Amino acid sequence: MGVVSVHQYPIPEGKSGQQVIDHLVKCLETLGATKTGTFCVDCETYYSGPNINPSRVLNIIHNSEHPASCFALLDTGTCLVCDTNFDQLMLTMSGLYHSKKSTKMESKGTRFQLGDFIVKVGSVSIGPSFRGILIEVEYGPCVIPNYCWDLMKEFMGGFMSSPRDPHQYLQGKMNDIFTPIDTIQQYNDHFNSIRKSTAAATSTASTPTHQSSSGRSTPSAGIAQSIPTKQ
Amino acid sequence: MNLESTRRSAQQEYILQGSIVNDSCEILLHRLRGLCDNGDAAPETFKDHEYVYTIRQPNGQPLTLRVRQSLEKKDYPWHLRYLGQPEIGDKNRATLVRSCIDVACSSNICTFLSEMGFKLDYEYISKGFIFKKGRMKVTVSKIFRLLPPGNVNTDEHVSQSYLVEVSVVAPTGQDALAEEIRSFAEQLKPLVQLEKIDPRRLQ
Repeated sequence: MGVVSVHQYPIPEGKSGQQVIDHLVKCLETLGATKTGTFCVDCETYYSGPNINPSRVLNIIHNSEHPASCFALLDTGTCLVCDTNFDQLMLTMSGLYHSKKSTKMESKGTRFQLGDFIVKVGSVSIGPSFRGILIEVEYGPCVIPNYCWDLMKEFMGGFMSSPRDPHQYLQGKMNDIFTPIDTIQQYNDHFNSIRKSTAAATSTASTPTHQSSSGRSTPSAGIAQSIPTKQ
Repeated sequence: MNLESTRRSAQQEYILQGSIVNDSCEILLHRLRGLCDNGDAAPETFKDHEYVYTIRQPNGQPLTLRVRQSLEKKDYPWHLRYLGQPEIGDKNRATLVRSCIDVACSSNICTFLSEMGFKLDYEYISKGFIFKKGRMKVTVSKIFRLLPPGNVNTDEHVSQSYLVEVSVVAPTGQDALAEEIRSFAEQLKPLVQLEKIDPRRLQ
């Protein structure tokens, strides 16, 4: 694998998620990208029971790009890479760590290939409800983010307004060899921020007096681009 | 490809255990070389460091997980193992049966388990030989204490004998395997008497 950068794509007002995705797909196809299947990154969150002190949150993430692996991320930052039997192990720990089915998130959609780049346009959902769009761009021939970031940025500019900076997590690892864990960490951060903004929106809707909590902006709000100008 | 069904498929371990004194171990190894696959090659050796982690569940029962690292092949993945309660069964059941989950994992597993709330209970070194016969795995190994703590090059063995185990890990319900293991164990008599050993009765 090469270097992967994951970005949240904001949905302009008045547009539905599906409309934005259709537009992105059209842009990519116009650029000459070919569909190479589908992908899915899913995340299940487990919370520690009362007898575990300090309490912990464990995110179990699977990525269809690494179908035999399972990534277990603790809120301490430790990421365990293991095979998918770990899911079964989590069932035996049901008394210690329990998951809330309603918090299961996934980003799924179409995978495109364009030369050395792989682009994945994913629609993010929590249970049945749509929550946003995540775009994953991978540049295959390089493993050091610093060496190819400018190229990736320019490439992204072709179908979305390019982000100014890499994802915050990647910024600290620009000169390190990129690993599949780095992709998962980016997804985890995005999932957490989408989850938080959803929770904030829900709490604002139920208690209109707490307006300050709704003012959270998405990390990549700067990459918004008006759809009509792109056509 | 149905990943979900692969993830959920439960595995069980069918196992018989026994021991042999040091002096007779060489004869057993010869016998195993004759009985098992790849008899023309020298027996495969292993030296593993096993860490045993436990955590108390809300119902008061401890949950134990075992972590193994190969000291001979440092680049191999670490191995995390859950073993369920052993079922002895009646006289008709030939082997001990216990549910078993094997997970290959990255080397930060010990940190990961500690952060999850598990406590390191004990650790030891297991060193010996491994044979295969079809789906069966036969190990002849010696257990060493880590003395002083952390010293993996210890020669502080626990006893004057070797632990002998014959096991198969298979999906649930393949009870015919138990018979296969029993008939194999018969061929090792009278050198070693392999039995269903309930660890709860040893405590």
